[in-house]
Amino acid sequence: MNRRAALQSLAGNSLLLPGMLCELLGEDARGAGTAAPALTDPLAPQRPHFVPKAKRVIYLHMSGGVSHVDSWDYKPRLVADHNQPYQVPRKMLEAFAENNRSPVKFYKKPVWDFKPRGQSGLWISELFPKTAECADDLCLIRSMYNDHADHAQATLGIHTGSVNFTRPSMGSWVSYGLGTQNANLPSFMVIAPVLPYSGAQVWASDFLPGCHQGTHVVPGPNPVPNIQRRLPDAELQAMELGLSAALNRRHLLARGNDPQLAARIRAFETAFGMQAAAPEAFDLSKESDATHRLYGLERGSTKGFAWQCLMARRLAERGVRFIELIDTGASGNWDSHGDVGGDHGRLARNVDGPIAALLKDLKGRGMLSDTLVVWGTEFGRTPFNTAKDAKGREHHAQAFTCWMAGGGVKGGISYGETDEYGNAVAVNGVHVHDFHATLLHLLGLDHTRLTYRHAGRDFRLTDVQGNVVQDILA
Amino acid sequence: MPSPKVRNAKWPQKPIDPFLLAAMERQSTQPAAPADARTIIRRLHFDLTGLAPTPEEVEAFVEGSSPAGNRQSAIAAAVDRLLSSPAYGERWARYWLDLARYVDETASWLEKTTSAHLYRDWVIKAFNDDLPYDQFVMRQIATDQMGLPPQDRHALAFLGLAPTYWKELQLPPDIIKATVADEWEEHVDTLSRTFLGLTLACARCHDHKSDPITAADYYAIAGVFASVRHAEVPTMGDEFWLPVKKARESVAALEKERDELKKKKPAPADLTNQVAAIDQKIAGLKTGTPHFNMAMATAVEDAALFVIPAANNKGTVLDFKPGQARDLELMKRGDPNKTGDIVPRRFLSAFPAKDGQPRRFTTGSGRLELAQAIVQEAAPLTARVMVNRVWRHHFGRGIVDTPSEFGLTGDAPSHPELLDDLTARFIKNGWSIKWLHREILLSAAWQQSSLAPDSEKRDPENKLFARMSRRRLDFEAWRDTTLACAGTLERSMGGVATPLTSDKNLRRTLYGTVNRHELEPMLRIHDFPDPAAHSAARTETATALQMLFSLNSPFLLAQADALVARMEKEAGPMLNARVTRAHAILFQRPPTAKELAMATGFLTGRETDKKAWSQYAQALLASNETQFVD
Repeated sequence: MNRRAALQSLAGNSLLLPGMLCELLGEDARGAGTAAPALTDPLAPQRPHFVPKAKRVIYLHMSGGVSHVDSWDYKPRLVADHNQPYQVPRKMLEAFAENNRSPVKFYKKPVWDFKPRGQSGLWISELFPKTAECADDLCLIRSMYNDHADHAQATLGIHTGSVNFTRPSMGSWVSYGLGTQNANLPSFMVIAPVLPYSGAQVWASDFLPGCHQGTHVVPGPNPVPNIQRRLPDAELQAMELGLSAALNRRHLLARGNDPQLAARIRAFETAFGMQAAAPEAFDLSKESDATHRLYGLERGSTKGFAWQCLMARRLAERGVRFIELIDTGASGNWDSHGDVGGDHGRLARNVDGPIAALLKDLKGRGMLSDTLVVWGTEFGRTPFNTAKDAKGREHHAQAFTCWMAGGGVKGGISYGETDEYGNAVAVNGVHVHDFHATLLHLLGLDHTRLTYRHAGRDFRLTDVQGNVVQDILA
Repeated sequence: MPSPKVRNAKWPQKPIDPFLLAAMERQSTQPAAPADARTIIRRLHFDLTGLAPTPEEVEAFVEGSSPAGNRQSAIAAAVDRLLSSPAYGERWARYWLDLARYVDETASWLEKTTSAHLYRDWVIKAFNDDLPYDQFVMRQIATDQMGLPPQDRHALAFLGLAPTYWKELQLPPDIIKATVADEWEEHVDTLSRTFLGLTLACARCHDHKSDPITAADYYAIAGVFASVRHAEVPTMGDEFWLPVKKARESVAALEKERDELKKKKPAPADLTNQVAAIDQKIAGLKTGTPHFNMAMATAVEDAALFVIPAANNKGTVLDFKPGQARDLELMKRGDPNKTGDIVPRRFLSAFPAKDGQPRRFTTGSGRLELAQAIVQEAAPLTARVMVNRVWRHHFGRGIVDTPSEFGLTGDAPSHPELLDDLTARFIKNGWSIKWLHREILLSAAWQQSSLAPDSEKRDPENKLFARMSRRRLDFEAWRDTTLACAGTLERSMGGVATPLTSDKNLRRTLYGTVNRHELEPMLRIHDFPDPAAHSAARTETATALQMLFSLNSPFLLAQADALVARMEKEAGPMLNARVTRAHAILFQRPPTAKELAMATGFLTGRETDKKAWSQYAQALLASNETQFVD
């Protein structure tokens, strides 16, 4: 008996696994993710609450706290009053390190020059010159504020809405709310070279079913755990899977139609598909030289934010619902206490080109209209510092900038304002809960209705707060 | 409580049966047929030990349980055998550790947990010794105040392993107060859900919307936790501890002296001699002090915490007052910076003591009085919650199916009189959990088959318990069974946790390291609960990442190879004999003719190829039949 015949005899006549059998027998007639998912599949596509503008999210997280006054929030008064004294309110003072608590601080002008960009004339600094070229697609939210000025808590805040408690990540909520469009890939993927502040809790599903947790992808040769087929030859594995399928099918048929048993058979099918789909998604060899140039990625390299951004576009194309890219991690990041010019400059050079490339690439492929790209960080940095010769900036959760682009937001606008120095929110504050409510809204989800019953109450990403920022909706 | 009248008087075996049968008869439903002996012994082993029975145990049971008249006594004997095996405690301890959000390691910047494993081992022993449940509860809250030997202090890790959150003391007190209040809330949440099945934490912000729990009740309990702090405490009496403490302080001072000496510039001429002299003193103290390496318990001790501004308003100080206790002020909407009246520490107003008032907590932090109130005033609830948890693990569904939520927002009990009756008898039988297992396992209800098409159709959730619910093994049971069936399981008990990722780790899964900050991916993808919070029940998912683990993980591949070696050793070279042995080891039954033909088809022409056999073994290990219990 040859292998193929053996397989036929093992797995033939299966009613349950048509997709799998097609692939096993080399008669693949279907495209990625077009198989109808089983009713019991918790990742099956879900109907949103209303017609969505965006189908997926790419969230770019800059770890450490990016200075808003050096990048997106232009404050000419800082230039005019550079090194002028500023009497810090007592409360704010206490956020400074002990050796840094003199009540008189000095305003610090931005390290980079600002100028108006694009047709919209949005003021953006030279820190992100390439992203600035996409100004007409950006919706800058200049009035963000978070609940905590420490990295670990603020990072949890921007991801889960809670600065202390273990809560599901926004990506998990989106996966829970919408399911996945491609059964051969996880619904929520996080590409991060190292762990961020608060570790894997940042993409945890917590009380939501485990299939909604972020799948952590580490740039390099083995991005997904256990994805590499250990058998040298796909046909051998197909035989083994055929045997498995046959065993499981006989087991199931003897037990009526138990959905748990069927769900596990289906997950095997997905895993089988993922062994091919994931390496295919992570294989850049078919991307053109022009695309590599656009992202600034050397062929064969998996290094830097360029790889992460190009991968995000590929995963978005393949139907992954929520893709998060984390720039750097819990160290060596944007936390520029000592030298904003040096640190921010170096880090921006790694992300600026690739982010601009991602926006242009998505737009060129007609995907920007239904992909929401979000750029965020856990907090901003102080517009002032202690000494006249200080080159760094401290943590600043009272006011900072995030932006959105694409799927359903107005381009070329800014929303909210800080005061004339960038110290505090002056107009239209956007709390992290508002930010999350808006993100869910763009995906067709009402944040007050996306709930999960746990520990005696209905939990939401936005706790009991949050308002959709209506003015930025396209 | 009188036993309900039933028409089918022959069916009941134990007092729980008439309750269940009466409800079935009201719905015109029949109980499922009794499961066959092989199914029963497999189910029994997994329920009590989390491991499959060996082929020899299966055959002995099958023989002993026929004719039908011997069945009940054969089951009773097997239950006794399994309840006295140490594996029983390992299985049931892990269920408890989910509730206790047990961890071996926390984030590097938070309080260390150097001896968490001693709590895990304490829990295992408590189950194996059948420590009465009321004692089990009390000791985890207040063993140090119960006049028990200090070795028992490991029990306090239930409180000592509570998550802590980073407190940046350069920040002002109003921020730190919020963080500290969150820690108190975690304590109240885990305590109330674990022991009382109540979600008391909801009342931090407002009176409970559906249950008779007020915000004042919350702060009355939270005050207990505002009056304790994390501490590593000795596990021997003062006569041993005080000299050890002194010696450890001297060693620390000497080590500091030595390190400073080494840093000195320029280095003293006789540095080597000086360092050697200090090292000798240190060694002398370590060897000369009896019990110098005494285990410390991850525990709590009474000390009231006040969050106050530092001198000159430079940040915050956590001012612990050892031996003192404090009552908390009510916080408006849970905000520690908007406080109202002081709430004296006391038990919940819904559970008054004999004098009609809730028990006041007046001794130290009030931990002992809290523990007493939980097992006295609240005994009917406390016992009911545990009875239901044990029930749920045996049936796959609770009488109340929200096991940590007995309030009005939880699931209503499907059989309230049954739960009342079983709870009353549990208390009467000395809160013995092993008694409870016997009541359940010897019932006709538990011994039903899971195959009952009519009941599956009419009652898919099995609220009537008119069949056994088919259950999936949790990751621990599956991994442990994989090792046991492959013949590689290492059975030593207890001790320091070791990483599951190591291919040398062949111990039961509950001895694998659990890190709260960075949960091992092998655990995370297999529905292991987040150890940062009480987990009432595991969410079951079937995901592609789990199947990739089955297909490609080094662990499963190694065990498949080992299983092949075992088949070869125990069944010789013939294909049929090997396949038969594999079915006996994994499925407790012989293969069908069709299954033998499938194996033959798969292995034909490759009978001597070890890799082909390994694939065959892997397909069996990863199969649904291995992972589910009928």
